[in-house]
Amino acid sequence: MLRFTLERLVGMIVTMVLVSMMVFLIMEIPPGDYADRYAFRKYSGTGIAITEADIEAIRHDFGLDKPMALRYVDWIGNIVLHGDFGQAFAFETDVTKVIGDKVWLTMAILFGTLLLTYLIAIPIGIYAAVRRASFADYGLTIFSYLGLALPNFLLALILLYFVNLWFGADIGGLFSTGMSDAPWSFAKAWDLIKHLWLPAFVLAWSAVAYQIQTIRATMSDELNKLSVTAARARGVPETKLLIKYPARLAINPVVSTIGFDVNRIFSELPIVAVVLGLTELGELLLNAYLDLDMYVAGAILLMLTFVIVLMNFISDLLLAWLDPRIKLGSN
Amino acid sequence: MLKVENLSISFRTDEGLITPVQDIAFEVQPGRTLGIVGESGSGKSISTKALMQLLPGNGIISSEAKILYTDKSGKTRDINRLGKKGRAIRHIRGGEIGMIFQEPMASFSPVYTIGNQMVEAIRLHRNVGRKDARRIAVEMLDKVGISNPEARVDQYPHEMSGGMRQRAMIALALSAGPALLIADEPTTALDVTIQAQVLELMRNLQRDLSMGMIFITHDLGVISHIADDVAVMYLGTIVERGPTDKVIHEPAHPYTQGLIKALPSVDRLHDRLTPIPGDIPSPNDRPTGCPFHTRCTKVIAGLCDQHQPQILQVGEDHTVRCFLHEKQQRASA
Repeated sequence: MLRFTLERLVGMIVTMVLVSMMVFLIMEIPPGDYADRYAFRKYSGTGIAITEADIEAIRHDFGLDKPMALRYVDWIGNIVLHGDFGQAFAFETDVTKVIGDKVWLTMAILFGTLLLTYLIAIPIGIYAAVRRASFADYGLTIFSYLGLALPNFLLALILLYFVNLWFGADIGGLFSTGMSDAPWSFAKAWDLIKHLWLPAFVLAWSAVAYQIQTIRATMSDELNKLSVTAARARGVPETKLLIKYPARLAINPVVSTIGFDVNRIFSELPIVAVVLGLTELGELLLNAYLDLDMYVAGAILLMLTFVIVLMNFISDLLLAWLDPRIKLGSN
Repeated sequence: MLKVENLSISFRTDEGLITPVQDIAFEVQPGRTLGIVGESGSGKSISTKALMQLLPGNGIISSEAKILYTDKSGKTRDINRLGKKGRAIRHIRGGEIGMIFQEPMASFSPVYTIGNQMVEAIRLHRNVGRKDARRIAVEMLDKVGISNPEARVDQYPHEMSGGMRQRAMIALALSAGPALLIADEPTTALDVTIQAQVLELMRNLQRDLSMGMIFITHDLGVISHIADDVAVMYLGTIVERGPTDKVIHEPAHPYTQGLIKALPSVDRLHDRLTPIPGDIPSPNDRPTGCPFHTRCTKVIAGLCDQHQPQILQVGEDHTVRCFLHEKQQRASA
């Protein structure tokens, strides 16, 4: 297991280096840079004519005149060594300050959604497989197709309406009024959890529907395996038997797609965030691109991809733990 | 120790109710081996699954069936009345009746070590702690001839060879201390040399532990090596039953005679084998009358295809379901 972990860890680090290069390249692709944008903002309408030399001076001030490779090394070096993600030009401060809380809130939404997805989908999928061809099974299948068909921003609107109707106002966003600027405390964390379930539920919706069907299918296969009959023939109690033998292997496809789920959540989050009024990174990323505020965009992209790569690493380790045969491949 | 009467098994399917096992009866004595022979599809496997209430959800055991099992403490129960769930049937599964299967790889879970699965079985049926259970598991692996059992106990099934896995499978079934062992084609998937070793091992273990055993196979040659009594199954019915010697040397049913003729033998090396003509019919369109009449060389037109033959005594403990013997008995009477 140690060898397997180390191999995957090295693989993860190599992936991260390549990903960081790609992120930097993507930041460079849009034509122009922040020096152009800055000069335009500062001097347009003032009547002062600016020359190419002025822009070049601004570019030098921002350090944007150095060759790309050098800027990449500076950028990634500062991130790794000092945790310094560079300057947020449009905000005239550090990227770290701009992103700050938004990173943690995005992560809270992400992990809340993942947790909710698996907590709902895994037991229900197993139940549907065990009670195959029952009313409960057919009901859950219908629910799954509904789940796959309903766009989640629409679901968000519907839920927002009903939650408002039943629990009163103040459910959108991630905090109650006045809480968002308060310093972190137990009360604030609790307030976050109270608000988090709604976006987590909306984002988990389609994944739950999909994963129920996946688990139902793999669990049905596993239930028919001779090893399950053999364990039953040894007198293993039914509930323990289901969890220990077929379920452990049936969740395999769910575990192996954790990375996809993270990716999907990141892609769907911005739209849901707009509907529910959430604070997260998506909108900031879009604005950073429009402003050519490259280090803000870079920091966000880097963090999102890092989380995806990290979750893939975790998913690999979980798979190897669930099914020891997987480690055979590393020899 | 086990007495089965009137056992019929049906399955609810999309094409309606099919009954692959019809009204069979057999008996197993302590310390003796009953061999059940039959082609694939004859119902021998599901009959033994029914003994442990292991039929799939759409399987039904006829309500008039009696599966009387006398356990280690001498109490007799009807397994057909125990149901599929609950403590009583779980106590019998593994603890009283052990089962081994044809595919040792498929019958072990691939994601737990051999030891993990053995310790689980031992602790379910014997009142011992984890440490003692592990010691019993190691002893059992040693007993079935696995070298270096201390290390093997922590291996996964995929780390063992086919023959060793079958031995481990036997050790797993025996570790919970069953009084009756059901072996469902345990040697079919093995090489001939390993097959002989495993048969030898099972015979020795049975003698040492004085277990009763039901040995299922399609191979009469294997039966003659291991079984004391034989039941020959064809299309869900037992067509002939008796002591192995009698059934092999004086087969009474045309089907048994056919099976023996189809058996390769070193003495008859240059003779061609005589296969039984035709294929085994599907249980959904079971022939009327005697199930074997469509392939029988001695079929009596107007009788065999119309009426079910009754069970007839042809010798001491030797019975057959065939009209040929009815005629003979009537003639001699």
